[in-house]
Amino acid sequence: MRRSPGFALAVPAWAWLVIFFVAPVAMVVWFSFGYKPGIFGTHANDVLSFDRYVEALSPTFFATFQNTLWVGVAGTLLCLVIGLPVAYWMAVKAPPSRRGLLLALVMVPFWTNFLVRTIGWQVILAPEGWLSSLLQGIGLTNGPLDLLYTRGAVLLGVVYNYLPLMILPLFVAFDRVNGPLREASKDLGAGRWRTFARVTLPLARPGVIAGVLLVFIPLMGDYITATVLGGAKGNMVGQLVASQFQTAQNWALGSAMAMLLIIVIVLTVAAGALVVWIVSLPFRARHRLVLGDPPAPPSPPVPGPSDTSATPAGPRETQEVAA
Amino acid sequence: MTSAATSETMTEAPAAAGDQRGTVVLNDVIKRYGDALAVDRMSLTVQAGEFISLLGPSGCGKTTTLRMIAGFEQPDAGEITISGRSVQGTPPYRRDVNTVFQAYALFPHMSVAENVAYGLQQRRTPKAAIREQVSEALDLVQMRRFADRKPTQLSGGQQQRVALARALVNRPAVLLLDEPLGALDRQLREEMQLELKLLQSRLGITFVFVTHDQGEALSMSDRIAIMRAGRIEQLADADTIYARPASAYVAAFVGQQNFFRGTVVEHGSAVDSPHALVRGMRSEPGGLPEGAAGQAAVRPEFVQIAPDAAGGASDAANTARGTLIGVAHLGETMQYLVRLGEDQSLIARRPTPDAPELSVGDAVVCSWNAESVLLFPADDDPSSGGYVAPPTD
Repeated sequence: MRRSPGFALAVPAWAWLVIFFVAPVAMVVWFSFGYKPGIFGTHANDVLSFDRYVEALSPTFFATFQNTLWVGVAGTLLCLVIGLPVAYWMAVKAPPSRRGLLLALVMVPFWTNFLVRTIGWQVILAPEGWLSSLLQGIGLTNGPLDLLYTRGAVLLGVVYNYLPLMILPLFVAFDRVNGPLREASKDLGAGRWRTFARVTLPLARPGVIAGVLLVFIPLMGDYITATVLGGAKGNMVGQLVASQFQTAQNWALGSAMAMLLIIVIVLTVAAGALVVWIVSLPFRARHRLVLGDPPAPPSPPVPGPSDTSATPAGPRETQEVAA
Repeated sequence: MTSAATSETMTEAPAAAGDQRGTVVLNDVIKRYGDALAVDRMSLTVQAGEFISLLGPSGCGKTTTLRMIAGFEQPDAGEITISGRSVQGTPPYRRDVNTVFQAYALFPHMSVAENVAYGLQQRRTPKAAIREQVSEALDLVQMRRFADRKPTQLSGGQQQRVALARALVNRPAVLLLDEPLGALDRQLREEMQLELKLLQSRLGITFVFVTHDQGEALSMSDRIAIMRAGRIEQLADADTIYARPASAYVAAFVGQQNFFRGTVVEHGSAVDSPHALVRGMRSEPGGLPEGAAGQAAVRPEFVQIAPDAAGGASDAANTARGTLIGVAHLGETMQYLVRLGEDQSLIARRPTPDAPELSVGDAVVCSWNAESVLLFPADDDPSSGGYVAPPTD
């Protein structure tokens, strides 16, 4: 029972997960199969059915699901496209002495209340706001700014609110790749882009995955950004779920929607991973090189003069495979 | 192989386009980091197919020099030519050089074979040719059977070989090696030294080898450039560096030295130090001015040691009397530490088979031949490497 000390270390985390994550999710799953028993009840489970799921997928709600998915995917991609070069520049090109300052600047918006900074954008983007007058003043636009309460405004708010969550893991990942590996790539004849495509990006992959998940998952559940900046166009599933629980007092339907949201998130992430895998398939195939086992040597193999001194040649192979 | 062979046979022929392949010339190169001068007006000519070592303590500019040849740093002044062509402004990926990095810098997400293939893929070599050349290169360093492993599954010595194969497979005009053996244990390092030298003479590729390990430099190099504070202190083959060091710094850095400080006497051929009159050969060129402060150096391996039977009577030149304060067994040699006086001690080393039986506390007499004495001006401070005797006044 050597594992017990290690397990003991994980007990607090497990307890936390079970009490605050597994149990609530299990309750939501349970509620989602029930129904709302009259005006004053929130949920009942004496009859179990999939009816709430059917209800949640009705055309009214389905449009909201579509909109949520659109904002989630587009917002995440935008964050990735904007965050990647910034993180790369911060980790690789910016002078090391400035990195602390740059990181602080990325994080400054985080220190402001989420709702307040979103409403701040509402003020800026308003048709009678200063940005609108400024653009009209210098003649870039003819009429008042028509951005607030559009999807464009929602995406702008999403990028503003979630970009740091993308940049930070990407920065850490690029920072780790920096140095000798990139120099080795250039030394071997690869230019900037090839070095990026074949060394920097593949090695930063964990950071890219972390950044995408950190943005996409909370974004799918977020409705503040979309409501404040998107108005009627900003209907998100998160908002529906909240209103089912709080206003309509229909916990069963709210739970079914929450479950559907989780399923959509999981499926989208899986689909995204599949797309990336398929798209990169030819690229990876082009550079794959498997030599296989060497052809049988004519004479007994000459032992490598250095490494065989440490371990006998025979069992070495199996040892290292096992390790 | 063909290009390497041609360059070897054609080194003697004068100035056609291809025959300078493998030469490296540095001309008055300067590199500054802020206020610090990392490389100070350095000039160096490396012949095609030569194995040259840049040897010096850390911070002497040897790695900076290598990085400028590789293209990772640009000189602030001066010119570098590779294979007869100036590489001013040429990025590393367009230079006909490859580097073996100090920590190998193998790509962890690629297999050994893919690491070695990387350079060939950048040149758009056909896939079949890549297969063949990668196999060949891995055979060369006896790593063929590890081809499909990841670098993390290899030992340090194996990673070292892969790094070497990854660079050599491109058949560069010049191979740059940045302390490539530094991370290996001693036995493995000595074996790799031998292999590297054999490989280099077989392939005929110019090797520029950066190290702070004098043993490495002495055992492998055709010529050694001893560097100090961004300049080359001496550039010569191992024998010359060992036997006729250009300065006290070089003398102290390569091997060990016993230094005696004192006044120059006998028309510049001897130094009169408080504990011994050290007399060198009269033939020393550019002798020291009579009466000036000077220092004499004698290597421990040239110092004879014997029990002092006569007592402190005779005071012949090139002898010193003292008390044995330490004996150390170094394997092939025995090392004796002798205290001559308050602030001067002396190291003697004898081959173990004919080492005298002495014990700590014995009165001993040390002596050496005038041929083994090196004389230097006193202001040349051998402040690093080797054994430096404390100043006598």
